[in-house]
Amino acid sequence: MDKSVIVKLENLVVKYDDEMILKGINLDIHDKEFITLLGPSGCGKTTTLRIIAGFIEPNEGNVYFDGKLINKVPPYKRQVNTVFQKYALFQHLNVYENIAFGLRLQKTPDNEVHKRVMEMLEMVNLKNYGAKRVDYLSGGQQQRVAIARALINHPRMLLLDEPLGALDLQLRKEMQIELKKIQQQLGITFIYVTHDQEEALTMSDRIVVMNGGVIDQIGTPQDIYNEPVNAFVAKFIGESNIVSGLMHDDFDVEFAGNRFVCVDKGFGKMTPVDVVIRPEDIKFGPPGENTIDGTVETVTFKGVHYEIIVDCFGTKWKIHSTKSAEPGAFIGMSLTPEDIHIMNKTSHNKVILDTQIEDEGKANE
Amino acid sequence: MNKNSSKFSAFPYVLWVLFFTVIPFLLVIYFTFTSKSTGNLTMENLANASKYFPVLIRSVYLAVIATVICLVIAYPLAFTMSRCSKRTQRLLLLMVMLPMWMNFLLRTYAWVTILDNNGIINNFLSSLGLPKLQLINNRGAVVLGMVYNYLPFMITPLYSIMTKIDKSIIEAAQDLGCNSTNVITKIVLPLSFPGILTGITMTFVPAVSTFVISGLLGGSNCFLIGDLIQQQFLGNEYNLNYGAATSLLLMVVVFISMGIFNSFDNDEMEDSMV
Repeated sequence: MDKSVIVKLENLVVKYDDEMILKGINLDIHDKEFITLLGPSGCGKTTTLRIIAGFIEPNEGNVYFDGKLINKVPPYKRQVNTVFQKYALFQHLNVYENIAFGLRLQKTPDNEVHKRVMEMLEMVNLKNYGAKRVDYLSGGQQQRVAIARALINHPRMLLLDEPLGALDLQLRKEMQIELKKIQQQLGITFIYVTHDQEEALTMSDRIVVMNGGVIDQIGTPQDIYNEPVNAFVAKFIGESNIVSGLMHDDFDVEFAGNRFVCVDKGFGKMTPVDVVIRPEDIKFGPPGENTIDGTVETVTFKGVHYEIIVDCFGTKWKIHSTKSAEPGAFIGMSLTPEDIHIMNKTSHNKVILDTQIEDEGKANE
Repeated sequence: MNKNSSKFSAFPYVLWVLFFTVIPFLLVIYFTFTSKSTGNLTMENLANASKYFPVLIRSVYLAVIATVICLVIAYPLAFTMSRCSKRTQRLLLLMVMLPMWMNFLLRTYAWVTILDNNGIINNFLSSLGLPKLQLINNRGAVVLGMVYNYLPFMITPLYSIMTKIDKSIIEAAQDLGCNSTNVITKIVLPLSFPGILTGITMTFVPAVSTFVISGLLGGSNCFLIGDLIQQQFLGNEYNLNYGAATSLLLMVVVFISMGIFNSFDNDEMEDSMV
């Protein structure tokens, strides 16, 4: 096994009452990396996290930690600690004792406990809060206590289950930066579970996109954003236009009534594919040669950019541009080869694609 | 406006408390300190009531035993219940409450027919040719009656506070290094402490003042303070003033016990504040 792999998940299967929650998860988690399990609710991301923490035993498959099988090891014997979604602080203890909890269990001497709790309080910016009751703290402060409490045992790995879900946007952004800083400072592995794609893109070294109990794609944020493997990933990570196309040959694709040069290859000849175009990649101007032409339907100001919906003979396209357009104008959209991302068509994708078009149709009405 | 309306909505209860708690309490005090024959101010009633101090001690002793047994039975049960699925929880709670649907007297009489010298158990024993056992008219029977009748009052507050302990709190404790014993002693016990205090209060107070249970199951061997009070008010020795004095004595004992329990609660809070 690779030396830098700290946790190895091998073919994990979890069933609840005949319902398959995980359908064979294989994943190597590297030492000191920030890895995010990303997916919609019910995709199995939290279940995967709970298996690593030891709260769930998989029906099938193996969990290795440092190359040792740990399926049967109870949570309190694992070198991992968890930050829970609802913080799960101990209401009967103050901030100081909440953080000291893990050390007290190990019968650490008082002066050592004091030193380490103070270190932790400083790290999470709660220096003077030690004597406070936890229910007097704000959500953001409670979350900091939860993080400090989990880190004081010096775990090899920190598991975070949607820890920022209950915080407001501003605080969430601050905490994202802070979490990343803590992770780099301590040099330990963070496994982060979220359904928020922006959060995943901001913090992660690698993202694992999960859907319906399987892993769809593993990669760096750039990989996932720029080269989604299927329509689900493309749709989940950022906004996108997904259309059916035909791959004539390597670097040669036909969609929306035009032939385009692209940078993808290896799909074979005359293969039906899905084409993903990010809304911010589309340039538009007067209709011209090799442009996708359509009528501007709506223009919405979004702050940083305008969102323009273009109706191209029944297919809706979404453009994000700093340039505005007149509703009713007939325009042409142009693409460079790098803007075009080709994905294999699968039946699994098709369903999503159909509902997506339906949804967007409704949204535009 | 808001203040006025909230005062107004409390009005029925204020009336209730006035007529059925405050005035009767003042009457108890009045009768305690007045002489039956002359109506003059006197300490005689209280002094007489104090002669029955051993009876009071016996009542407290049996009530404490019953309360402890209730706690020992109820605590693990309540914890297990609170960790079950919602459906199972409802079913178990129904089973706990079911005896309460029957009349208190009937429930206690039922024990008489079970424990009596010619009751179900002894009949069964003699049909096997075994000697009869003295199961009734002793302290054991009284404690049994108390535990049986007041157990639901112990289970309910414990259960209700334990359902508030989120699963993630227990998981967090395990995650930080607690084995199952530590989870109970360091997390569940301190978090459920207010429930323990409520349970003890709701079990101990009716148990210490009972007269039905001791009357039916204790016979003449187990005369409790409740029986004494009842005799003064309803028996042949009708003596309002003496009964009031005994009641006041019991009230003081209960008041002191509650004070002791609640000081535990405060200590607990202070400990966690350090």
